[in-house]
Amino acid sequence: MYLRKFRKFACSALALGIMTGVANAQTTVDFTVAEYSSKTGPFFDEVAAAFEKENPDIDINIEVVPWDTLLQRLTTDIAGGVAPDISIIGTRWLLDFAQQGIAEPLDSYLTPEFKSTFIDTFMQPSVIDGQIMGLPVAASARAMLVNMDLFEKAGATPPTTWEELYEAAKKISALPEIYALGLQGKEIETDAYFYYALWTFGGNILNEDGTSGLDSPEAIEAARFYKKMLDEGLTQPSPTNYSRENVFNLFKQGRVGMIFTFPMLIPQIKAEAPDLDYKVMPFPEKVTKATYGVTDTLMMFADSDVKAEAWKFIEFAYKDEWRSKFDRGEGFLPVTKNVAAEDYYKTNEDIAGFAAGLPYAKFAPTIANWEEIADVTVRALQRIYLEQETPEAALTAAAAEINEIRGK
Amino acid sequence: MKSLNGFKPLAMILPGLLLAMFIIGYPVLDLANTSLQEVSRFGQLRGFTGFDNFAEVFSDPLFWGSLKRTAIWTVTVVLGTLVISLPIAIILNDDFYGRGVARVIIMLPWAISLTMTAVVWRWALNGRAGLLNATLMDMGIMTEPIEWLAEAQLAFTVEMMIGILVSIPFTTTIFLGGLSSLPQDSYEASMVDGATRWDQFRYITLPLMKPFINIAIVLNVIYVFNSLPIIWVMTEGGPANGTDILVTYLYKLAFRFGQLGKASAISLIMFGVLLLFTVIYVVLVMRDEKDTAAGEDE
Repeated sequence: MYLRKFRKFACSALALGIMTGVANAQTTVDFTVAEYSSKTGPFFDEVAAAFEKENPDIDINIEVVPWDTLLQRLTTDIAGGVAPDISIIGTRWLLDFAQQGIAEPLDSYLTPEFKSTFIDTFMQPSVIDGQIMGLPVAASARAMLVNMDLFEKAGATPPTTWEELYEAAKKISALPEIYALGLQGKEIETDAYFYYALWTFGGNILNEDGTSGLDSPEAIEAARFYKKMLDEGLTQPSPTNYSRENVFNLFKQGRVGMIFTFPMLIPQIKAEAPDLDYKVMPFPEKVTKATYGVTDTLMMFADSDVKAEAWKFIEFAYKDEWRSKFDRGEGFLPVTKNVAAEDYYKTNEDIAGFAAGLPYAKFAPTIANWEEIADVTVRALQRIYLEQETPEAALTAAAAEINEIRGK
Repeated sequence: MKSLNGFKPLAMILPGLLLAMFIIGYPVLDLANTSLQEVSRFGQLRGFTGFDNFAEVFSDPLFWGSLKRTAIWTVTVVLGTLVISLPIAIILNDDFYGRGVARVIIMLPWAISLTMTAVVWRWALNGRAGLLNATLMDMGIMTEPIEWLAEAQLAFTVEMMIGILVSIPFTTTIFLGGLSSLPQDSYEASMVDGATRWDQFRYITLPLMKPFINIAIVLNVIYVFNSLPIIWVMTEGGPANGTDILVTYLYKLAFRFGQLGKASAISLIMFGVLLLFTVIYVVLVMRDEKDTAAGEDE
């Protein structure tokens, strides 16, 4: 028994030795991948395998990390001196990475030909102080989803303005056990759910001079509108108990008439609620059209020792065949021109509905401490929804706090 | 038995002591160093800033709010756990049919990770789709669903109750161990003298169980004070910071907002608070024991 155990140990030690031996003969590129869905890991494994076949001397080591822990993971890796060579990150973090000298500027690597494959709108958020600090890797725009069955039952028409939305909501919430609008009040992107109204009411996250726009009359009016919907029972009660997923689930169950969401929900609805008769629509308007454009960035680390090899892999992974497969699999909008030109993105009604907002899409401002500013906004909204403060008081306080964080 | 004295016993525990000091001491020193520096968004040290981080912490109203809630959380959960665990342990110590099964049922929650328990509760407490509301409405106890986690006060109360629930197995185990070591002859003698069960509990069980209750208090305070998963999974300290305790606030500062300097200052303060509590408590207990011992000698 003892001997057998020892033999096993000896074998594994030997195997370990052989494996490290092989790895030493190669260059290893560590690539941290954010997990968009269960398809993400297998997709990048496939890309890496194809790349390694063409470049036997380079080994791509892929590590899939869930979004919730990605920033924490990168923070500890960087602090511990074991950062990867390339990583997918949220574009909203890019400025922090760039300012701390952690992101490698990519201008010297990008050939004009490669650069021209990207859609300019999506390239813009990665440009910091005139330098390209990362490449757009995923993009989405938000839109409104309406449940057509409920609208039909209530005799309402899908709204194009906030006034119409309010009128339609009154009809829909008259149906038993049905709420007109799903309102998110908890956890990630609670602030985004408010920006949709903020922007279309004519407000902005930041004013021209860089101060917070949350205390503007437009912002307060937008918050009052949400609060009015809540008070009159036109949203589900107690939004502060509803995260993004909770609100989306209500929609999948056919219990809310309208939600604001991202394209990635469509594959989920198709799989989990195939009978749901939904329609993708632009956000209701008040003063202007708007949608929230969100991009994620592929970033190279300045400390990497294998930048040439990493870049070779990046160029490989941006080939049309891979981009097309990735965007379709995850339900993203394409970031490269060739993929965007594919028929799929014109004929598919759902995707076209989300893509329609791109010309007037707004992006989260690339500013330092964005996560903290978003948290201040979320807390203010929660105080409004919980009736602890009026929209005016809560947003004015939040704006002051944000200005202090920004040093304005 | 020949007693060991002089250098010998010290030498024997020295390797263990050194190892413990290294494992505990190194992170604390590293933390202390970090807390006195300006730290970048990604944990790189940017130079000595004295007590700036501490000044920032002390001027932060959210820190004081979290500290207050940490005190409420710790005291409520620990006291609640003790009050419930002691009777459970006494019942489980009696011989009855099915005691083995009952013991397993009490211990089972211990086998599930805290995070998993919290996730399950989060689902169960969901307002519209949660199991708890559905059950209560089916039983006719209420007609409208309650949003358990929507409002801070209710959410915090619910979280404390779950905190108590998950601390029971560990505490019951300590008490069971204690109860089985109690001398049976005192009980027999007291029965001869006509003591009721309450008298036995009050004058025999409770005093003899004191050392076990003490250790349960110290360990539970340390665990509960530092416990992140329940609150983090269920509300992330929200809504509007209404359920933030120090450890959730610390986690947010460190890994969301990237204020690692401030976060290390808070964790050092937490370490200090716990150390202070433990020292004071141990001193009190030891003095108490000495008094009793002296009393017995007279």
